[in-house]
Amino acid sequence: MEPRSAAASPRPVAVAGIGAVSGFGWGVAPLWDGLRAARTAIGPFRRFDHRGHRTHVAAEVPPPPPAFLARLRAAGENVRRLSLADLFALHAAEEALAGAGLPPRFAAGAGAEVGVFFGSSTGGMWESELFLAGWFAGRRRQARLGSLVSQQVNGPGDAVARHAGAGGPVATLSSACASGALAIAAALDAVRSGEVEIALAGGSDSLCQLTYAGFNSLRAVDEAPCRPFRAGRQGLSIGEGAAVLVLVPLAALLAAGRQPLAVLAGAGSSCDALHMTAPDPSGAGAAAALAAALADAGLSADEVDAINAHGTGTPLNDAAEWGALRQVFGARAGRIPLAATKALVGHLLGSAGALEAVVTVLCLDRGEVHPAPGPSGPDAESPVALVLDRPLPLPAGRVAASSSLAFGGANAALVFTRWAGAGA
Amino acid sequence: MPEGATVPDRIKRLIIDNLHLEGMQPEMIDENAPLFGEGLGLDSVDALELVVAIEKEFGIKIKSNEMERQAFASVAALSRFVEGRLSPHPLT
Repeated sequence: MEPRSAAASPRPVAVAGIGAVSGFGWGVAPLWDGLRAARTAIGPFRRFDHRGHRTHVAAEVPPPPPAFLARLRAAGENVRRLSLADLFALHAAEEALAGAGLPPRFAAGAGAEVGVFFGSSTGGMWESELFLAGWFAGRRRQARLGSLVSQQVNGPGDAVARHAGAGGPVATLSSACASGALAIAAALDAVRSGEVEIALAGGSDSLCQLTYAGFNSLRAVDEAPCRPFRAGRQGLSIGEGAAVLVLVPLAALLAAGRQPLAVLAGAGSSCDALHMTAPDPSGAGAAAALAAALADAGLSADEVDAINAHGTGTPLNDAAEWGALRQVFGARAGRIPLAATKALVGHLLGSAGALEAVVTVLCLDRGEVHPAPGPSGPDAESPVALVLDRPLPLPAGRVAASSSLAFGGANAALVFTRWAGAGA
Repeated sequence: MPEGATVPDRIKRLIIDNLHLEGMQPEMIDENAPLFGEGLGLDSVDALELVVAIEKEFGIKIKSNEMERQAFASVAALSRFVEGRLSPHPLT
């Protein structure tokens, strides 16, 4: 992809609020606490019977807080019609809007300037699986038509728009594991160009049998919690959850007397154009996306202080990603502090890029790179500077990049900068 | 459903069993309260599920154009509709 011209992008875009749901629980606070503690949320899970599968771990989100469901009902949502992925998305959006000092629902006039840009791989697939299980077992009462209402992949984004009263453009991107990052890139364009004044950007996916069985069939799942960039890694771990960023023009946020959590400085994407599932082993496509995002941000590779890797823990992904990092950062590739979020919350698939964007914002806002658990040794062939066991202070960190690589060869990268005031 | 249960009781039980209304008991359903919007707060998907359940429970067929607001306004109205269709002759 050609780097976009910074000159054609006059409006710097701020992250005004963030929200997240993960295996650590419902909110940004449990996410950040869990990440800092390097205590993985991946473990035994109860969503469905997985005895027939090869592996038996996932990062499952705990049940929704009753007070949250009560708030939804009070606001007129028919909770029985919402999928788990919808609920994750609604909670993340609620938290992000509150953090941005915005109302949970926009008035009719104001909502026209609000857009929703969402990523998802499976939407309400889990609920559809419940329907099919009842149907094929001849248990018609379990095969509820209502379970199918939330099936569509656009369900979570639509739920966010409906609930928030967002009357601007609403779109769902589904490009596998790059979906969340691509949705944020689309939102960045829309805020920069003035198409919207507020964007709710993010993604949501729930743990379901389709993806659990699919990745198991591909033998891409580790029997142990995944070990990105570590020796002996066997594959990924499936997670679930949602993340939402509220993006607004930086000038508007400052004029309202608020400070950004970070600036979304640039985005880039590319495609390997090579294979249905495997990444280009050279990492050239991933490197192109990262380079495009840096060019879009008007930054050089030398200015990057921290990386949130895609880091799935599959042998192929991490090796290709190391290749990409070497192409972009040269000799610095093995020295830039690197976070592997999936080691702790698993792979959120269509939502992963959004959750890792939130984690990258937290890295700059809190001045720390979160660690991964370090039980196994480093991978000599992918010697990244993976932060292990305890958070790495990064008080002077100014630029952080997040990469998302997907089936189909789709690559996306986002670059965030710390807002250090108008004089910086 | 016990033998001899009335049509309204059977419909209330169908609503509870099929629509997964949390914490709801048959005796909590007011026969004259609106089923949709206000009252029980059912939606159009509930209507479809209810039609399928009623067809099976009572052995009747309900055409799309019979799913009108009047017939589905309340448990009482729905019971009158179903009773009207329960002909003494077997359905063909």
